[in-house]
Amino acid sequence: MFERRLYFHVDWLLLGAVVLLSGIGLAMIYSTTYVALPTGGHASPMVWKQVYALGIGLVALLVCLAVDYRLLAEHSLAVFGVLVALLVFVLVKGTTQMGGQRWIPIGPFNFQPSEFARITVALILAMYFGENRRGARNPSDLIIGGIFTIVPLLLIAKQPDLGTAVTLLPVFVGVAYLAGLRLRLLGVLVLAGLMVAPVAWKFALKDYQRSRIETFMDPEQDPRGAGYQTIQARVTVGSGGLVGKGFRHGTQGQYKFLPVAHNDFIFSVLAEEQGFIGVLVALGLYLFVILRSLEAARLAKDRLGAYLVGGIISGFAFQVIYNVTMSAGLAPVKGITLPLMSYGGSSLIASLAGFGLILNVRMRRFTN
Amino acid sequence: MSTNLMPDDRRSLTLRLASLQYIIALAFAALAVGFWVFQIAQHDRFLEMAENNRLRRLPLPAPRGVLFDRDGRLLVENRNTFNIALVREQTKDIDSTLKLLAGATGADEKQLHETVARRRRDPSYRPIVLIENASLAQVIAVRARQWELPGIIYQEVPSRRYPSSDMAAHLFGYVGEVTEAQLQRADYEGVEPGTLVGQSGVEQAYNKLLMGTEGNKTVVVNSVGREIRELGKQEPVEGRRLELTVDADVQKSIEDGFAASGFNGAAVVLDPRDGAVLGFTSRPAFDPNAFAGGIDRATWSALNTDDLKPLQNRALQGRYSPGSTFKMAVGLAGLEEGVITPDFKVHCTGGAYFYGRYFKCWKKGGHGTIDLRHAIEQSCDVYFYTVGNMLGVDRINKWATLFGLGVKSNIDLPNEVTGLVPSTQWKAEHTKEKKWYAGETISVAIGQGQVSVTPVSMAVYAATLANGGTRITPHLLKAIDEGQGWKPVPPPPPQSKVDVTPEKLQAIRDGMWMVVNAGGTGGRARIAGKDVSGKTGTAQVISNTGRLAAARSGKDLRDNGWFVFFAPRDNPQIAGVVFVEHGVHAGNAASIAHHVLDTFFAKLDGRPLPPPPTREDLRLDLTDPYARRVAVEGGQH
Repeated sequence: MFERRLYFHVDWLLLGAVVLLSGIGLAMIYSTTYVALPTGGHASPMVWKQVYALGIGLVALLVCLAVDYRLLAEHSLAVFGVLVALLVFVLVKGTTQMGGQRWIPIGPFNFQPSEFARITVALILAMYFGENRRGARNPSDLIIGGIFTIVPLLLIAKQPDLGTAVTLLPVFVGVAYLAGLRLRLLGVLVLAGLMVAPVAWKFALKDYQRSRIETFMDPEQDPRGAGYQTIQARVTVGSGGLVGKGFRHGTQGQYKFLPVAHNDFIFSVLAEEQGFIGVLVALGLYLFVILRSLEAARLAKDRLGAYLVGGIISGFAFQVIYNVTMSAGLAPVKGITLPLMSYGGSSLIASLAGFGLILNVRMRRFTN
Repeated sequence: MSTNLMPDDRRSLTLRLASLQYIIALAFAALAVGFWVFQIAQHDRFLEMAENNRLRRLPLPAPRGVLFDRDGRLLVENRNTFNIALVREQTKDIDSTLKLLAGATGADEKQLHETVARRRRDPSYRPIVLIENASLAQVIAVRARQWELPGIIYQEVPSRRYPSSDMAAHLFGYVGEVTEAQLQRADYEGVEPGTLVGQSGVEQAYNKLLMGTEGNKTVVVNSVGREIRELGKQEPVEGRRLELTVDADVQKSIEDGFAASGFNGAAVVLDPRDGAVLGFTSRPAFDPNAFAGGIDRATWSALNTDDLKPLQNRALQGRYSPGSTFKMAVGLAGLEEGVITPDFKVHCTGGAYFYGRYFKCWKKGGHGTIDLRHAIEQSCDVYFYTVGNMLGVDRINKWATLFGLGVKSNIDLPNEVTGLVPSTQWKAEHTKEKKWYAGETISVAIGQGQVSVTPVSMAVYAATLANGGTRITPHLLKAIDEGQGWKPVPPPPPQSKVDVTPEKLQAIRDGMWMVVNAGGTGGRARIAGKDVSGKTGTAQVISNTGRLAAARSGKDLRDNGWFVFFAPRDNPQIAGVVFVEHGVHAGNAASIAHHVLDTFFAKLDGRPLPPPPTREDLRLDLTDPYARRVAVEGGQH
């Protein structure tokens, strides 16, 4: 299956950057969750979990790289079916943590199917738009593509995990855009979204979600409650300065002034400890990964490959940009993790698997 | 199956990918700018906020200065107690925290809320003390619920320990949280809200010396306020140690005397040579220990609503008719103004007419012909009516004032009030009637009418009679330890000094000696060989008619009793006053004074101190002469 000559076409730079980002994330998790004791201290067990996840993720990456993406795409409907089944299962029997029913326990680990929704949806959309001659120019095709997106989105939102659910939208828009979605139609969609927003605000959002957005607009109105994270995120980032406080010398994350620092706010920790320079390096790596992936889309042999890469990387880019903005207290707090860096096994594995597919497309650009 | 890209498609795709690249690159550039703004442009501000998060400067209260008596015996010391406090920034929901705390400790939830509300403008990291002087059970209850009570901490703090219950309570005073009004004042500069400061007595008067300097420690804390490590510590500096002029033995003798008598009242005992206060009491008293770590609401309101007003410092704030003790001032005025000589005689028939009105002497049937010395000894009212009438009110006022009556003593204790010795000027300025009637002078001459004095001013009066005209300033501070051993504090200068002709003053003193040692009313204060000199005074609380009318009100309307004294007659070493509220007879005050004087001289002579008196020892006279007597106006004796 994995032909030897393909080896030469693996994008080592992209792979290297991805692994490097995962490593930086691991280091930041180590730093901010370090258990300091008077007698010395030790790494948190979370670090080891993340190490295992990285190992599994690299295996997943290899698998996704080894199997021809076209073969995978042929079975995309089955994959999609499995995803929907898992999401339904989670809703019925999943375990609840942090206010959401999102996990399926597997031994010592908790498996979070929603993290795999992005690549699954990217795969099925790429397949659907790539295999029809018209691309995404036809509204009826858009509606069918939309259904592939909206079904898992609603299932995830129901958990509730609005943050993760929302990340499916850029996947859809990304694929549809590359598949020739008329810009006028895109404009109409955006306009419709804006018109629906007030209604959604009133009826669809839960109180805590509304308060998150409200306090983001004016964090000082509730500095102890919902505005707390936003303020502390800015303090964390701002106090880092140019060169940062140094590895394991951050105070905001380590002393837990910034909640869930190892998870949603891992980038704030990086900004605190490594400073503006560290931020530029990390942002540079992410930008490189994204642009390099878009390059892979451009080089893709077929529309399927281009759309697949475009879908995956759109979701990825959206997550990165949103999470980093939120890390600086510049966007409302949403449960959107920073791919590759945030603590969380499923997220890391899914991200690495996604890059497996991207590398796959690029590697097979000359094959038939 | 597949669908390799057609050139057309590829062109379109490339175009769209390129624009996507630009959009994303632009977003990243915007992010970089955003981080630049926070991390570079506003770094200082955010760093400070992060440091405020992480670093806590916790106040370390300074122990207040220890108080000693004149012999270096411990009077007021410190002990360690626990405070339970709230750090608001560490608790998300203050209401539920307070509710839980009230449940765990039995504290009044409403009061907790009020305390927090009062301190709402403090920085939110500064602990607000909610329960002072917490019991061990309360501390344990809080510790056991540490995780349910974020932001509730307990601190070990020094607090005051006063000697047995209520001894000299008004003298020492008490401590309490600094008030909003005090914080506005210059002498409380640098005092943080919530600090305990002296709120009365010596604690207030010498608060600045006693307070010491608050220390602090800087600690690193995590988000739930748990201390992670200490960065620096500035130890608190204990307040200055003060040596008071008070003699613990004399003080105890006063308290014992009052305790045995069962009376309320006041006493002030001085060294007439320099005004050093040897003993000072006001009764009923309170337990200053109850204030030591912040008083609870119930005790406070009980003290405030008590009809007997235990918080009032009667020695400084009580104004009472001096009665016959005023007669020395009138006699001295007569002598010094040249109106009479010691041999001037008056014939007392039990009363006399002045300005068409009959004024009775206390002694039915009268004293017969009597001179100044005997008039003092026998407390003849007619004699002093006559002298007072000859003097007029203004000359009485002049000499009473020179001897300390009707003016402040300026003792170094807060909130002293001024008594009143009337004058024509006073009447013109302070009354509607304005004009002074000569008939009013007659009542003034025996210490009645508008005359009112504080016990402390009576002590000054006794001391001025004793030392021959120097109106000494009563004071409590003998020495200060500024860290290099005791540094004596010179006594404050006298308020005034008048050159009294010694022979004239001697006549007055002779009369006072006779009061105690001859046939006078103060015989119970006699001490062999000590030539105690004194004067009793009984003053009505209400006129006899008024008393009859109010008989069923349940109020104590029995007469007040005074005894002013000094000893020995020549070169006096002690002077003072004992005032018994509703003590019926002035002789009962003399009984208490006897125990005080006996203790003082026993100590001076190196004899064993007399044991605390029993009620029988005091030979109290409680027969109420007016209870059954219906007279129009009672005389004084």
